[in-house]
Amino acid sequence: MSSTSHNDPSLAILQQFFTTATQHASAAMCHWTRGRVSLTLDELTRVPLEDAMFQFEEAHDLVTMVVLGVDGSDGAQLILAFDDASGRRLAASLLHREPSNGPEWTELEKSAVMETGNILASAYLNELTRLANRKLVPTAPHFVQDYGMSVLEQALLMQAMSSDEVMVSRTRFEFDSEQVNWNLMFFPDETLRDSLQRAVVAAS
Amino acid sequence: MGQIAVIAAPDVGRTVLGSCIGLVLYDPPAKIGAMAHIVLAEKQNRPGPPGKFADTAVPHMLELLAARGAARRRLIAKLAGGSAMFSGTGPIQVGEANYRSVMRLLKDAHIRIAGEDTGGRKGRRITFDAETGRLVVEIVGQDPLVL
Repeated sequence: MSSTSHNDPSLAILQQFFTTATQHASAAMCHWTRGRVSLTLDELTRVPLEDAMFQFEEAHDLVTMVVLGVDGSDGAQLILAFDDASGRRLAASLLHREPSNGPEWTELEKSAVMETGNILASAYLNELTRLANRKLVPTAPHFVQDYGMSVLEQALLMQAMSSDEVMVSRTRFEFDSEQVNWNLMFFPDETLRDSLQRAVVAAS
Repeated sequence: MGQIAVIAAPDVGRTVLGSCIGLVLYDPPAKIGAMAHIVLAEKQNRPGPPGKFADTAVPHMLELLAARGAARRRLIAKLAGGSAMFSGTGPIQVGEANYRSVMRLLKDAHIRIAGEDTGGRKGRRITFDAETGRLVVEIVGQDPLVL
């Protein structure tokens, strides 16, 4: 079940696209993890820039993230974020090993979660490409361990340049039928957002 | 993001920065400071509160501090942030533009810079203590830095 805030018509339109894209990402994730991981769009909301930090529980904490851009877009980003333990659990399940507990992630673990981000982003953007009739391809993934808000800040920057509000999405993940503290966030830049909205209007 | 907070002893202020600049103006004898989380260098005709832009944040911080009894001639500045987080996936020049704008504004306002830690490619968590005037800068994988 997903919801939008403020009964914003343009946000409701975008949510149609994001929900469908998330469903496709979930199908790809199920296939990649042999049915162990699924995701749904939980909320799409628009908040004042000053409040963006409060939308992300781990804003002040160390978060593990896979960050991807969108080729040909001026700053759109997808971020797959999880706490360290969850990320290691995902990597371990993909590598058929026990989760590691060393201070550093191994290159193999990083590679596994980056590939996960790549699969999620590709499925997500493939569906948006079909809906918006505009080719959207993810850039190479970056593995990042940093304070949550420092990365989110960068993703919100393009929206902040032209607006006093920013759009934030929340995604609910389940791993072996249990909710886990992961989040897939999509931050379209203004041009891409307008393009998506026009496509929905044209299709309706 | 885009906020300005006036912080008086014994309170502390904290935020996390990427390409944004965290600017603290502090009056040591009065033990009062203002902390801004600056997102962009210039307001131009963009919407947003004064703290969002360097060129509106600095004058507004000075007004807020004056209203709380801080003496402008005693003010010192400390700043952190301005990283270029992802060269391949986002705008890389924003952090540097923010930094340059803040430095120019501080120079024009004749405010001494008592400490700074800017640039690089990592985020920063900063904590300002109005009692001591210390600005603690944390970067993942490094020892905290005290400005």
